[in-house]
Amino acid sequence: MSAVRWLIKCGAAAAIVLIACGLATVRFGSGLQVPATTTRDGTLNALSRYLREPVPNVVLVGSSITFRLKEEYFTTRGLRNLALGGGSPVTGLEIVANQPRLPAAILVEANVLARPPDAALVERYSRGATELLFFRPVRAAVAAYEQRLRPPLTHEQVALDLRRLVGQPPSDFDNRIYVDRAQQQFNAEDPTYVAQLNAKRIEELIRIVEQRGARVFLFELPYAEPIEGSRSAAATREIIHAAFPEPNRWLSIEVNRSELRWADGVHLDERSAVIVAGAMERALASARTVK
Amino acid sequence: MTFTSWQFGVFAATVFAAYYLPALRSFQVQLLVVASLFFYGYGQPELLALLAVAVFGTYLFLVLALRNRKAWLPVGIAFNLALLAFFKYKLLFIDPASPSLVDFAPLDFLLKLPLPIGISFFVFHNISLLVDLTRQKAAPPTLAGVFLYIIFFPQLVSGPITRAEMFMPQIKPKYFADIPFVEAAKWILAGFFFKLYVANNLNEMTSYMSFPLYETLQTQDRWLLVFLYSYQIYADFFGYSAIAIGLGLLFGYRLPINFNLPYISTSFSEFWTRWHISLSTWLRTYLYVPLGGNRHGLWRTYLNLMIVMGLGGLWHGAGLSYLLWGLLHGLLLVLERPLLARLASIDFAVFRKARMTVVFLCVSMLWIFFKLPNFDHAVGYLAGMFTPSTNPNPTKMFYSLALLYSLPVMIQHLGFRPFEGRLRWAEPYLYGSMAALMYLEAGPETSFIYFQF
Repeated sequence: MSAVRWLIKCGAAAAIVLIACGLATVRFGSGLQVPATTTRDGTLNALSRYLREPVPNVVLVGSSITFRLKEEYFTTRGLRNLALGGGSPVTGLEIVANQPRLPAAILVEANVLARPPDAALVERYSRGATELLFFRPVRAAVAAYEQRLRPPLTHEQVALDLRRLVGQPPSDFDNRIYVDRAQQQFNAEDPTYVAQLNAKRIEELIRIVEQRGARVFLFELPYAEPIEGSRSAAATREIIHAAFPEPNRWLSIEVNRSELRWADGVHLDERSAVIVAGAMERALASARTVK
Repeated sequence: MTFTSWQFGVFAATVFAAYYLPALRSFQVQLLVVASLFFYGYGQPELLALLAVAVFGTYLFLVLALRNRKAWLPVGIAFNLALLAFFKYKLLFIDPASPSLVDFAPLDFLLKLPLPIGISFFVFHNISLLVDLTRQKAAPPTLAGVFLYIIFFPQLVSGPITRAEMFMPQIKPKYFADIPFVEAAKWILAGFFFKLYVANNLNEMTSYMSFPLYETLQTQDRWLLVFLYSYQIYADFFGYSAIAIGLGLLFGYRLPINFNLPYISTSFSEFWTRWHISLSTWLRTYLYVPLGGNRHGLWRTYLNLMIVMGLGGLWHGAGLSYLLWGLLHGLLLVLERPLLARLASIDFAVFRKARMTVVFLCVSMLWIFFKLPNFDHAVGYLAGMFTPSTNPNPTKMFYSLALLYSLPVMIQHLGFRPFEGRLRWAEPYLYGSMAALMYLEAGPETSFIYFQF
């Protein structure tokens, strides 16, 4: 076979596969395409899903700390968790605010404000269309397989398991080494500059979305005791409370702290996340009655 | 400028187009030298001067050594080893973040220079040039020829480490009609496929091997990731070498094959004839044999193996983990040496498969020291492979994705060769599909692992 014929056949095969995948995207969309193997994948999945599906009634924006509060832990229908692991709550809030329609309530985590918003993500997901040009066959196949294996759950499907989980005693996992490490990190970083910028931006975004009819509440998730007292946590708390002193802007999450456990002092374990999700729902119901 | 960037695509296409113009045929070597300098200086222009010092210095010592080998060859080798030692190992003694390291400004400037990309490779080229050409007692090559041998852009950053006696005779006018297009295309497509589809996707998964992320892994996933990293580092480096070989062919140069299915090796000595072959060959020719090889008795052979593998480990980086990685490989070579003849005499398939498994397992475990150059982290990771995980929120691994990303390496190593027989007609279609797949399913951009060396 001559080299030219070989190269033409090779190019034609590549073109046919690309055209087939392009047509498949037009036909099926790209909803199934990326199983979340990394934090970044998870972020892209969450954002794509937010844009693809109907506007929820309530949306949570935050960091990996809020990410632990799975949607099926909440009884509220139409609640979407748009917290982005490794990200800033402002990223999610910007993207939600840039959409043509808004949820009735937006809950903004105030724990992690030391990270600037991800401008690239905001830009990409504020344009609306996020569909990929080409169907990605391997990822699509794995995503379909995973969804078949573990379909998304509703609260009703897991309610019994959650009740059983909460009925168990708290975990006795020894997390001291992780708490010490997290504490060192939280004491080493000074969030002041970025947190002030973020607080200012949150103020602007709240004004914009509330003018459009949404209500915005801030919330703080509990940390393990040593982390609560760390330099970064204390500075963040001071900055955000100075920016939003009104108590009715805040969801007051009332839980028995002795029942809570953290895998690493920062992120709640599953049982604790279920307890906190319940407390948030109660706080939200009570806050929404206040005009 | 990495091979996977669009800038490189434009660069390579431009150089290729100019290279075969009849008007430029007399300047092909010079054109490749200029292109290689541009390629190297694109990211680190401040290091071009260092490259020039290395090449001019080596050329000077070559000319002198051709007159008096005994006197000047050791000086030329010492000059190159000093360059390597200075840039590679200075960080053991200094903190580059310090505002001023020494009072002498020029030295302070040199100390603060970053590690020049590819220094480990071009220094080995220089030494090969000095040893091979002075051994042959040939006439000194042209300066442009020396430049081309050392800095030829496909092999400049991460090899394959080409021996001078193999490369220098290839320097002659090249003709478009002589290009083996199909062979070059197959190397380049296979290289990009292994890098973009296999290595970059597996990198997403093996990123969980880093500290402290690995603490969130379940015990079985730590094992899985070790094997995935084995596949990743192979796909990454094989990919780079394949692209380099393919590009070399486009410009009329045949570079040495660097990998030959290393994970089917049935002994550690066989592994080193299949993995990073150009480095193993270099170390054997220019270090193991001059040290005496196996010519001075059993214990001296063992010592030589340990020295060569220990230095081979340190060649990768200045760190305890790299040294230990090399020494442990040396130890495995020493331990298996007395048993090799007896093992070879047991010739049945199951036993051979068992030997392959043992070699693959040991080699994969030792990659941990590569992935985690911090010795404490590497030991922490290893310890976690033998203790049950207690983390209440373990990271979820997608085993199906791991399998699909690893599959090309597995298929390649299983010796599946349908295109050598009746299915030969389908070969271009397979390569075309691979090209499409690597575009569609490419993992997030990451540097080639061997760039850091």
